[in-house]
Amino acid sequence: MRDDPSVIALVARVGDGDQEAWDELVERYAPLVWSICVRYRLSRQDIDDVGQSVWLLLVEQIGRLREPAALPGWLATTTRHECLRVLRAERRYDHEGLPPDDQMPPDPFATMIEQEVIVAERNAALRAAFAELPQPCRRLLSLLMSDPPPAYAEVSARLGVAIGSIGPTRARCLDRLRRSPHLAAVLGDQAGDGIEVDDIEVKEPRGEPGD
Amino acid sequence: MNQVTKGWDDEEVLAALQQALRAQRAVPPEFIEAGKNAFAWRNIDAELAQLTYDSTLDPALELSLRAEAASIRALTFTSAHLTIELEVAQDSLLGQIIPAQPATIKIQPREDVERELVTDEIGCFSIHPIPVGQFRMRCHAASGVDAITGWITL
Repeated sequence: MRDDPSVIALVARVGDGDQEAWDELVERYAPLVWSICVRYRLSRQDIDDVGQSVWLLLVEQIGRLREPAALPGWLATTTRHECLRVLRAERRYDHEGLPPDDQMPPDPFATMIEQEVIVAERNAALRAAFAELPQPCRRLLSLLMSDPPPAYAEVSARLGVAIGSIGPTRARCLDRLRRSPHLAAVLGDQAGDGIEVDDIEVKEPRGEPGD
Repeated sequence: MNQVTKGWDDEEVLAALQQALRAQRAVPPEFIEAGKNAFAWRNIDAELAQLTYDSTLDPALELSLRAEAASIRALTFTSAHLTIELEVAQDSLLGQIIPAQPATIKIQPREDVERELVTDEIGCFSIHPIPVGQFRMRCHAASGVDAITGWITL
């Protein structure tokens, strides 16, 4: 994954004690932390516990993060460790022969974590790009993304635009989104992949770690 | 960059955006709020003591406790250099710090004034009454270790 300059800037501002930058960082990465917890099938209470630890550890460590661009990976790994900690606390795995997680054999979740980081970065970049679109574009695309997708006649009535202009405007807005520098930073490694919607779906894990 | 984005047609980019916004909506606002609040800890120079055991979440104990009239909840918090063990008794909270040593304990309720107490020589203490609502404990041990727990609700 390429370094995202906006993340590097955020981390630097957080290091200077900027609460707004911290808030932005949390908003950007909360979906990553959340989705990993969901993969581990934690209860809501446990997810809150993991979240608290992850953010507190980040507050503690962020000044020492040598490569700010590695933050998403750090967050994912830390979240995974915290999920395992919570599962141990519940089941006393440590007294039942489960080794500490740095000695765990590679588990299928390791791949899941990498995938989650990629998806989270892509999602964050898409949201950042979307937030910077002109307001009419955001309104149109939001409406088109509603479920079920509205007919153009309805879009036309809701936004007060001619039916014939919706298609071309949609194309222009999406093109603008695609050309956002936010996306360039994240999509660099995935040039060959194409984006499959299936990859993006957060799936429930089938088994539990350690089973 | 054009090569990257050329492969992404309108339908794909819209679907990807939809997923990105959906992933964000899946996260409860309180979860994000709690994350933002964590920044208040940045100047606290203490080790984080994490919950490492909670008897209410231990299925092995669940059965045996069900038969007892007064079940005792036990919690363990562990930081790099200190362990804090807690037991919820009838009308007080009993605790001990390990390794055994005297310490000053501060009880910091989220919506109440802070209380402070001193443990005995071997680090045992009793908090009465039991804190209501969310609170955290900060522990200054004689060894110089300063540890703080996450938010606790009993």
